Amino acid sequence: MTTIQTPPQPAVVRAETVPHTKPKDPLLSRTWVKVGLPLLVLALGVGAWEVASQTGLVNPITVPPASDTFAAMIDLSTKDYFWHAAWITLQETLLGFLIGSTLGLVLGALTGTFAVFRTALWPFIVAIQNTPRVALAPVFLTWFGFGMTSKVVMAAVICFFPVVINTVAGLSSVDANARMLFRTYGATTSQTFFRLTLPTAAPVTFAGIKTALTLALLGAIVGEFVGASEGLGVLVNEFNFQLEVAMGFAVVVYLAVIGLILYALIEWLERRLITWSN
Amino acid sequence: MTVTAPPARGAITAGEPIRLTSVNKTYTTATGPLPVLQDIDLHIETGEFVSLVGPSGCGKSTLLKIIAGLIPFDNGTVHVGEQAPKEGRRDVGFMLQQSVLMPWLSVRENVTLPFAIAREKGSHIAPRVEELLELVGLSHSADMNSWELSGGMQQRVALARTLALDPRVLLMDEPFAALDEFKREHLGLEVTKMHEDMGKTSILVTHSIPEAVMMSDRIIALGARPGRVVGDIRVDLPRPRSAAMIATPEFQDISRQVREALAGEDGSIS
Ligand SMILES: Nc1ncnc2c1ncn2[C@@H]1O[C@H](COP(=O)(O)OP(=O)(O)OP(=O)(O)O)[C@@H](O)[C@H]1O
Ligand SMILES: [Mg+2]
Repeated sequence: MTTIQTPPQPAVVRAETVPHTKPKDPLLSRTWVKVGLPLLVLALGVGAWEVASQTGLVNPITVPPASDTFAAMIDLSTKDYFWHAAWITLQETLLGFLIGSTLGLVLGALTGTFAVFRTALWPFIVAIQNTPRVALAPVFLTWFGFGMTSKVVMAAVICFFPVVINTVAGLSSVDANARMLFRTYGATTSQTFFRLTLPTAAPVTFAGIKTALTLALLGAIVGEFVGASEGLGVLVNEFNFQLEVAMGFAVVVYLAVIGLILYALIEWLERRLITWSN
Repeated sequence: MTVTAPPARGAITAGEPIRLTSVNKTYTTATGPLPVLQDIDLHIETGEFVSLVGPSGCGKSTLLKIIAGLIPFDNGTVHVGEQAPKEGRRDVGFMLQQSVLMPWLSVRENVTLPFAIAREKGSHIAPRVEELLELVGLSHSADMNSWELSGGMQQRVALARTLALDPRVLLMDEPFAALDEFKREHLGLEVTKMHEDMGKTSILVTHSIPEAVMMSDRIIALGARPGRVVGDIRVDLPRPRSAAMIATPEFQDISRQVREALAGEDGSIS
């Protein structure tokens, strides 16, 4: 089959939680091994960190021991200012994600459906996709100020493009034979779109949306680094300035937890919406 | 024959004749015009099973798409039944080399798809779908995901889907080519039996001469591009057909005639 136009490749390969290698060792497919082995690695890592810091192998001022970091985490969890900062960052992330991915879906759908849009816009989409968009953070600060808006915009801009690109890739991945099949049944344009194009595009598009959520948190934090009065990024910055590195570490660990929770939620949503494998 | 509606297994929906007169087709390509079909005259009778054989690129798929109304032709006339070809005709079913199942639909839902596209509703559809699934031997796999099936099972689903709206004309473009030899022969025989039961007018594109001989009433050999009819061989084997016939001298003789018709036409044929 010859395709008239080479479809854009998906920018984001569907990232599975565990790489698909066949477990040769039957032991490796046991649940307790699958859970236990990563836990062991975690324990070893944290242990090595603790020992290195306690014995002065690394400077405990700049790399405080794991136990201090853990204590700082407990300490932080009792502080109202921490929860307030976390709430701010979460809002920025989710708002940015919603705005960015919605606009991304719309532009992606237009670009993927109408050749005019594709021809006119594709070069710019590729160009902007390959620009380090975080460099715009200072500009947004000037435009939108120290408040949440500049972070929401940063998050939206950064997560917009993977959604556009994956939506376009998904929409152009419809098999020519499948299109022909729908024609033989006399399907209308809207029937073909809803019964063929949309479900075909969904998995690839959703992979873009997943990436977008991760990127939204990144965008919010970068925005906060560049200039903000509230948020977890601000806390990391301030603790580091005060050489309260353990507190800084603790915030980063909480950021990792937030990132993981968001990822788990979107994975759950994906499993609900996309029940098939292509 | 029982006369019940909707048509069940064994009940016959009469076929339609297909008539092509001096059909030409030239594709416009980047490197200039490419004549693909030249003066095709083809009359297929109601209920006849015809195979199209010929070297790769001679225009077999093109011819089938013209009959299905999927692409225009340059001159000549084409009639499927009383009408000119048109895409979306309910009385014409098209089966492709790839099964093209929708992975988001179950086996049963894939077979129901033609009804959905035709916006046909009603209590007769569900039993009809079960009947189709039984016909292709997939009753027990109806709730499976289509991507869980083997290649042969997928092609069976595609066959059931093609038969769903009970077309009078069946166009098949190498429907067994993606299958291994064993499954291919097996499914081929089943389609032959189905044809003998249902009597739909059928055109099969194939690269396999034994398959063509086994299934057809007539074999049309097309010459290398631009495709023209270089052989029109009647298969006078009795029906119902069976695998045992392959060893008979008559079968061998017909195969030889097809081979001779194609001799000198470049391209390979198995
Ligand atoms: N849409 C198209 N535009 C231009 N050329 C085409 C188009 N479709 C097919 N062709 C060309 O027309 C010729 C006949 O194609 P067709 O698919 O009908 O051959 P075929 O006999 O079915 O071959 P095969 O046995 O390999 O399936 C080929 O040379 C092919 O490259
Ligand atoms: Mg072909």
